[in-house]
Amino acid sequence: MFNLLGSLDMASRAMQTQMTGVDVTGQNLANVNTPGYSRQTVDIQTSPDISTGIGMVGTGSTAVAIQQAVNSLLNTQIVSQQSSGGYWTAQQGALQSAQTSLNEFLNGTGSTTSSSSTTSTSDTGLSGQLTGLFNAFQAVATSPTSIADRQALISQAQTLASSFNQVDSQLSATRTSLNTSLSNGVTSANSLLSGIAQLNGQIASAEASGGTPNDLLDQRQQDLQNLAQLTNIQTSTQANGAVDVSIGGQTLVNDNKITDTLQTYDASGNGSGQLLVQTATGGIDLTLTGGSIQGTIDARDGELATMQSNINNLATSLISGINGNGQGGYSAGYGLTGTTGADFFTGTDASNIAVDSSLVNNPSLLQASSSATANGDGSVALQVANLASSTQASLNGQTFGNYYDETVAGLGDSLQTANTQVTNQTAVSNMLATQQSSVSGVNIDEEMTNLMGFQRAYEAAAQLVNTINQMMVTVNNMKTA
Amino acid sequence: MRIATDSYTNSMLSGFNMLKQQQVNLQNQVTTGLSVQAPSDNPEAMQTTLGDLSGQATQQQYSSNITTAQAQANSVYSVLQSLQTITSQANTITTEAGSGTASQSELNDYATQVNALIQQALQLVNTQDPATGQYLFGGTSSSQPPFTATTDANGNVTGVTYQGNTSVNQTQVAAGITAAVDVPGANSSGSGAYGLIADSRTGADLFNHLIQLQQNLTSGNTSAITTTDGTNLQKDEDNITYQVANNGNVQARLNTAASLATTQSNSLATDISNTSGVDLVQTLTDLSQTQTAYQAALESSASIMQLSLLNYLP
Repeated sequence: MFNLLGSLDMASRAMQTQMTGVDVTGQNLANVNTPGYSRQTVDIQTSPDISTGIGMVGTGSTAVAIQQAVNSLLNTQIVSQQSSGGYWTAQQGALQSAQTSLNEFLNGTGSTTSSSSTTSTSDTGLSGQLTGLFNAFQAVATSPTSIADRQALISQAQTLASSFNQVDSQLSATRTSLNTSLSNGVTSANSLLSGIAQLNGQIASAEASGGTPNDLLDQRQQDLQNLAQLTNIQTSTQANGAVDVSIGGQTLVNDNKITDTLQTYDASGNGSGQLLVQTATGGIDLTLTGGSIQGTIDARDGELATMQSNINNLATSLISGINGNGQGGYSAGYGLTGTTGADFFTGTDASNIAVDSSLVNNPSLLQASSSATANGDGSVALQVANLASSTQASLNGQTFGNYYDETVAGLGDSLQTANTQVTNQTAVSNMLATQQSSVSGVNIDEEMTNLMGFQRAYEAAAQLVNTINQMMVTVNNMKTA
Repeated sequence: MRIATDSYTNSMLSGFNMLKQQQVNLQNQVTTGLSVQAPSDNPEAMQTTLGDLSGQATQQQYSSNITTAQAQANSVYSVLQSLQTITSQANTITTEAGSGTASQSELNDYATQVNALIQQALQLVNTQDPATGQYLFGGTSSSQPPFTATTDANGNVTGVTYQGNTSVNQTQVAAGITAAVDVPGANSSGSGAYGLIADSRTGADLFNHLIQLQQNLTSGNTSAITTTDGTNLQKDEDNITYQVANNGNVQARLNTAASLATTQSNSLATDISNTSGVDLVQTLTDLSQTQTAYQAALESSASIMQLSLLNYLP
């Protein structure tokens, strides 16, 4: 049986135990909005019993541990989900910026109903300008001596050429910015790797001394998720609590040590900026399958590269198709003053296509006629105009317009896929986050209820102290009496 | 299932964002009248619409070509009408002068009239297109007046030379179809478009025939007027009549082509509207539904957000 001091001790430990409960509740409430925080619970157990003549007598309660509410399976799923999400989000971003660079949108004014149409639709990009160029050649063919029509043709061609230049430079800028974000991604991955190694060390030593480093575990989980968003990772948990991380089959974090880091390298070898990822010390080229780094690489070397090459191919074919390259065409025509042999477009591809500068100052030099002496003839201009509907071997047997429209649709398809994927991945992410939050998230109502419980228990324990105190006074008074 | 406090806020936020995004999209569709604006909205529809737009622009270009050609054909027609009057007057003079009853002074008066007719005809065949300044009857060589005349000391035209060529410019009026409105002033090549004034196939040569008539009138050679000039000028009149009919044919072709271009353009506009246009009634209904949902989400969220156990603790 307890003596009074034993009971006082039990009451005092009960107060401490409930106080720990209040502390943990406070910590939970304070972190109700902290991302990655897993709610903690205090594990209270009865203190060891004392054997007495009448049986086992309890000695109160004690807080034995502060535990995290986590579901490690969910955490693993979330890490792998982050890689898919990161991959498609990066693709989406890159392709959106390519779509903006291409600047091929539909403009509309007015509105249509199911019964009547009052819309006037136009497009903002190369498609309309290409058609406009060939139509302007038709107008010149119709009125070969009209200087106004010639000027309109030249200005239409200048618009088209500068659009080609602009699309090309925008696509190149997109490529450069993708490479920058690739490098930034690799830098972030390296800093996360070193953070994880450091946390591994701290966690291992805390666990070795018998503690449960809950907040460090949360922090490491957040780092792993952030890293997984950048690239797909494989993890394995060691007996000491450390998590080893490998990327593309290469172990980069082993226990509390960084065994290697990531770096970018130019795979093209010609400085064209085809950055890929390898290990810094080992120099091993990594094949990544998920994460924003690979998403960026795939968008850059996939749809973006295809589009840039298609636009260049289109410009090159247009230049040679219209000029004629010594086989008829514009260069074989004659200007109003009988000049011949000049090219309509100068340059070789989308980056440098331009209208022959002498034409700009003197539209009468435009070679629309088939004869030096027949300036009222527009047959060469008509021949060029008819290129609009003729298929080109260099464009896979398509017309200029169809080839371009297909390129636009190709980009649209890829971006649409990325958009759908991002929507799907977001839905999965949200579902996992809700599940994780149902396990690990803080609920204010629950914490308040717990708080009241701990408060009442604390009050009761304090009342116990008070009662024992009065009993001790009674005992003391017995002596003096 | 436990619901953590931040689950509320997260799901509310994503719900608000989604509904707002939908409203912006629908509003945008109503403003522009388009359900497809970017390639990624609907790649297939975008491709079709770009093709249709290009087709529409081309049809509009055909229309514009046809309008230019029609204006030119009208200019040609008014010249032809005046030339018809000239040939008919010349034929009347031939008949009257050839009857043998006219005195030499009357014949001289006729000669003066014929000279005036030649000058008039010269002016007509050197007509320029008011829009482009192009000579109507010089073939495709239009930098100089197609016909020049030499006159003697008395101001009588003694010869007219054709400086143009026999080619005609073709205007595209439909896919793969061209029409020529031009009429070359003269064609002695035996092929191609018939010359307006002279053609080796019909024997027409208006200026030389009028000059010959004038000279025969001056010299009083009435038998030549009856036998040769009458026959010759009849050929000229026939040639002009042929040109008038030909002009009518060309104009009819242009009218057909113009209505075809308009029909095609309208049909493409309908196609564009069907492919990328928005159904306004449907979209406005959707917009109003989304707005209602948004309002409901805001109201319910606001009332849920205010509630927690804290409201009921003393």
